[in-house]
Amino acid sequence: MSALIQIQGLFVREVARFFKVPLQTIGAPIVNSALYLMIFGVSLGNSIRSPDHIPYLAFLIPGLIAMSVIKNAFDNATSAIMGPKYVNELQDLRIVPLSIQQISWAKSFASLTRGLLVGLITYIVGQVFFYITEGHLLIITHPHILAYFLIVGGLAFGFLGIAIGMISSSFEHVGAVSALVLLPLIYLGGVFFTLQNLHPFWQKLSFFNPLLYIINGVRYGVLGTTDVSFLTSGLITFVFLLLTYICAYMSLKKGVHYLR
Amino acid sequence: MKDRDPLVLSHLTKKYGPNTAVNDVSFSIKPGEVFGLLGPNGAGKTTIISTIMTLQSATSGTVEVFGIDIRKNPKKAKILIGYVAQELVHHGFFTVEQVLKYHANYYGLKKNHKDIIYLLHKLDLYIHRNKLVNQLSGGMKRRLMIAKALIHEPKLLLLDEPTAGVDLELRNSLWEFIHELKNKNISILLTTHYLEEAQQLCDRIGILQKGALRRIDKVENLLEEHSLKRISLVLKTPRNSFTHSLLESIEGPCLHFRVPHKMAVQELLSEIAIPYEEILDVQVAPGTLEDVMKNVLSREES
Repeated sequence: MSALIQIQGLFVREVARFFKVPLQTIGAPIVNSALYLMIFGVSLGNSIRSPDHIPYLAFLIPGLIAMSVIKNAFDNATSAIMGPKYVNELQDLRIVPLSIQQISWAKSFASLTRGLLVGLITYIVGQVFFYITEGHLLIITHPHILAYFLIVGGLAFGFLGIAIGMISSSFEHVGAVSALVLLPLIYLGGVFFTLQNLHPFWQKLSFFNPLLYIINGVRYGVLGTTDVSFLTSGLITFVFLLLTYICAYMSLKKGVHYLR
Repeated sequence: MKDRDPLVLSHLTKKYGPNTAVNDVSFSIKPGEVFGLLGPNGAGKTTIISTIMTLQSATSGTVEVFGIDIRKNPKKAKILIGYVAQELVHHGFFTVEQVLKYHANYYGLKKNHKDIIYLLHKLDLYIHRNKLVNQLSGGMKRRLMIAKALIHEPKLLLLDEPTAGVDLELRNSLWEFIHELKNKNISILLTTHYLEEAQQLCDRIGILQKGALRRIDKVENLLEEHSLKRISLVLKTPRNSFTHSLLESIEGPCLHFRVPHKMAVQELLSEIAIPYEEILDVQVAPGTLEDVMKNVLSREES
């Protein structure tokens, strides 16, 4: 029995799954990103203050990339659990000789793949808008740092999506977590504004938001400027990855979670 | 592994709060044996199978597959098991062939096209191989579930009501297939509500009631011990006023008797003292598992 074939099999199946519904998994997020870029980046961009005299569109693009990766990794992981759970398919993973580690890593990597794909498309769309507005392309300052934050952040939200999907008994629960917890954290994590624009109270509160560090890390990777030191961000993001992995592991451990 | 029994359950108990779904159940399955678990709804059949497959955790007791404790070493044990769940699985995004390919991957196998095609032919799914699973009928989905359970050539097969909701033709072909698997020395644990199916397929049967295993024996022993055979005598002249403790009913010239399995017709005739000359015909119907179930369950209930 080859462990590599097992994990590869599940990964390929998961990626094939989201490619079966490209409009929902890829098309809709692209439209979202394009709308954000058009409304906030182009139309309102001139009236929004951004730090270090950086064009607001340049400030927005890395935030949107981070948001795309996080949101899509999370959505993919939850639907990769909830969908199969609803049609009794999820128990297949429990009855076959796949370990919990293999299931969690394969599903999370597939979620990261979708996140990165949408993130890449967001970047390309962002570049088009940036070129039209600024007359040149946005250069990525630290590609390896950008890659670190996107991969670690995407994997973390893949694990978190697995955990939420496993412990949820309906799509409503997942929707509630996405709308009431994840989305506010994304928006308040600095996608659209810098910490300096916030009241000191909200600034302090923002430091408890793990997304702040991922978004700022991505921004540092693209622009070379950030609200938080990228080393601190890198460390906190990594700790967040470990915590979400533990959550995913614990939720996958309980056999009854595989049943509807 | 050769010397070990394919499946051994020892004192398995599963509780949900104050309710006991499975109560101290122990049994084992021999190589090449078809073992049936029978019982009314809620008796604990599916809970036992779910516990074997680690979909539920046991409150106490152990499950060993070829000597491997499934809790301690699930990966090693699960390679040896094929499982067909009671509820249908849909796999809406994929075709029949894709589902089998991915499922083989989960076992670490890169099944080539030929192996999958063989199984598809065997289960009459070949012409449907490129269809999406949600386009299949219920019976076809059931066949696909069996194909998935067999893709890694397991030594132990768990079938949880495999013929529930399938038509007669498919049921018969599945019965044939189960016989074929048995001949290949694959051990099978079967739960079913169809007693005729259990009688046809099983070597031994365990009767569950309220989570406890009430009886466990070979089918013929259970029939002998717990069922009565029916002997019908067609008389030349009706005897409407005939009475006897073994008499079940009178229908015109017919007298229907319920007698112990071992009792021969001659014994009955001498017992009821009806001369041979008066009898036109004799019909003997063996006892059924339905009788066994009624008998065992009502006895335990009382």
